[in-house]
Amino acid sequence: MATSQMSRPRAPVARRSRPAPKWLTGYALAAPAILLMLVIFLYPLGHSFVMSFFRWDLNSAESPFLGLSNYTDLFTGTSFGQTLRNQVIFTVASLVIEVVGGMAIAVLLSSKLRGLRPARTLLLIPPMVAPAVVGLNFRWLFNEQYGLIDAVLVRLGLPAIPWLSDPAWALVSVIIASAWQNTPLLVLLFLAGLQAIPREPLEAAAVDGASAWRTFWAIVLPLMRPVVVIAMMIRIIDLFRTFDVVWLMTQGGPGNASNLLTVEAYKLAFQSVDFGHAAAVSYVALVLSLLVLALLYGIPRLTSGRSAWQA
Amino acid sequence: MSSALSRRRFLGGSMALAAGAAAGSFLTACGGGDSGGDTEINALLITGGDRYPAYWEKVTSAFKAQTGITVTYDLLQFTPLTSKEITLAAARSTQYDVYSTHTAQIGAFFPHFEPLNNHFDAADLADFFPVAIQYMTNPANGELAAIPRNMDSRTQYYRRDLYEAAGVQPAKTWEELVTVGQQLTSGGQFGLVLPGQGDPAQRQFADFLWQAGGDWLDQNNNVTFNSPAGVEALTFYRDLIQEHRITPSDVVTYQWNENSAGFTNGTCAAVFDWPGAYASFGDPALSTVSDTFATAPMPSHATSASCAISHGLAINKYSRNKDAAAQFLKFTVTPDALVDQYAEFKNYPSRMSTADQVIGQAQGMEQQWLSDLRTTIENGKEWPKVPGFDKVSTVVQTAVQNALSDQMSPQAALDAAAAECTRILQQSGALR
Repeated sequence: MATSQMSRPRAPVARRSRPAPKWLTGYALAAPAILLMLVIFLYPLGHSFVMSFFRWDLNSAESPFLGLSNYTDLFTGTSFGQTLRNQVIFTVASLVIEVVGGMAIAVLLSSKLRGLRPARTLLLIPPMVAPAVVGLNFRWLFNEQYGLIDAVLVRLGLPAIPWLSDPAWALVSVIIASAWQNTPLLVLLFLAGLQAIPREPLEAAAVDGASAWRTFWAIVLPLMRPVVVIAMMIRIIDLFRTFDVVWLMTQGGPGNASNLLTVEAYKLAFQSVDFGHAAAVSYVALVLSLLVLALLYGIPRLTSGRSAWQA
Repeated sequence: MSSALSRRRFLGGSMALAAGAAAGSFLTACGGGDSGGDTEINALLITGGDRYPAYWEKVTSAFKAQTGITVTYDLLQFTPLTSKEITLAAARSTQYDVYSTHTAQIGAFFPHFEPLNNHFDAADLADFFPVAIQYMTNPANGELAAIPRNMDSRTQYYRRDLYEAAGVQPAKTWEELVTVGQQLTSGGQFGLVLPGQGDPAQRQFADFLWQAGGDWLDQNNNVTFNSPAGVEALTFYRDLIQEHRITPSDVVTYQWNENSAGFTNGTCAAVFDWPGAYASFGDPALSTVSDTFATAPMPSHATSASCAISHGLAINKYSRNKDAAAQFLKFTVTPDALVDQYAEFKNYPSRMSTADQVIGQAQGMEQQWLSDLRTTIENGKEWPKVPGFDKVSTVVQTAVQNALSDQMSPQAALDAAAAECTRILQQSGALR
């Protein structure tokens, strides 16, 4: 019996493998990308954050834990206060120049005036130039002995300006160079936004006899708000990362007159060989830029209950 | 049964392939750099002009012909070279066996360079300028961190034609520096050019500080650069620019290149520069004053001290080819190599015997220059090599610029810097 039972062919068992849940497949497929991101992005970010609480330089084999000392040192040192002030001035002034100037040029270019078409193409050039090249070019343009700008000023009967050597002008020079490179980017963004505005409200305003200025303030600008907010966010992130132009034009000087947070971090890391303090400066910059972005995103919600992206 | 490659199988296969490749690289790395063939070392070397690549090619070819050791190398200018070495040292990198280095930055690298005391015997080291060996040595343990190749010390270069036309002699004192400079400053021409930014500004301040009789730290590492001598030095430095106006007004933006260019383009009648400048000033392709410049010792005040620093080579502490690297270092500082380096770049030899040899072979103005420079080197100084001094340097550079650009008085700038530097030295353990 037993034999016959054993020899009896088994009925095929219909084993239906259960399909893996969709979310698991999704994660499995995304895993390599997530892993790569963790390794090349989050690990250095986390490591530098940890580093900011330790003494970390080349001089000693040990790296003792310092708590918040690297951060408090910044605020009791001689240079960081001025650097923070410079960063605020640089960010606000650049934003105002670029957004106001960018909008004005975009409105002009979107008009039907003749001969402006080549200007749109030319606008692509400054954002395509490497920031290091911009820094070098403006260093020469602003040179007090041989620079083109002072030569023109003198030819016009105006006094030469000590652009890079005078503490009052150094930061202004850097702002000008940065605005020259980045305003065209905002012009292009605003141009795209202006072209997407529906014609009906503009035509209705024209029928009602609204002036161009009134139409701009009451209709164009509110409809452009999402584009302006996105442009400002992109620029704030960039302005807190600006390094090349400043380094090549002034190295943050004279003294600390044009020093920005990135330049300070670089000096601490590669001149002072003090990575702990450099990491602390980088995190102050990160927190500040996040704070500004949060304000930009949050104020419209608080004041009007609308998202910053909503027109 | 489908033979089509499913997405999942593709993913799995790709990951296995990547893991295999990574494991292969890892095992190769663990296996060490010696592949069993000819010995090869990697070097990160300094460059400073068009002639350097050919020079290093000549040196490494001659070294291979003599020892069979291949040297592969990368060349970088001084500032990016230092930045790269900081990154590599922080990462404990084994990429390079040999590094170019300099006295000014050596303090940060002491724990990361192989001590050379076992590779060079004491008798051989005795031939090098003592000041060069002293400041390449870690004062905490007496270990020699790098071997000096050429001395870096200041000379007063001036325009012989302009000085003769004005009936003046090169300045011997600070007071003469001002009066001569004033006589030669007019109509877009300046009596002097100085650097005023970054490390070069600190170097210039250091010279004035020592000449005023001051120093950076006392024997117990207390900050002394804000002493009356320090304030006098920085006040003099600032006044040359702001009060006497014998320099271009924008020298606070000048580093070494702009400093040298101010002289070679004919705008400024005098400059303080390093020995290598003798070659570039005399090269008609690089200088408009190649036939009209002359040299003199540095002006003095309370003392005649100036810096005596040096470029050198070091072995990476994490190198796997230290003996081969040591052979390369020795090859680059033989008397013949130093003579060749002098002939190529006018780089002042780091060996006293070689310096005497080139002085003996030179003639006229060049001989006088070499002889004066030897005196400067023998009496020369360098800033201290104590832990934390790299941070002190950065703080002082900013203080000097604050004073030079009239943002702060010299006293206030130095006092603020001194307070911060005291905290830095305490934190680094150099000052109790």
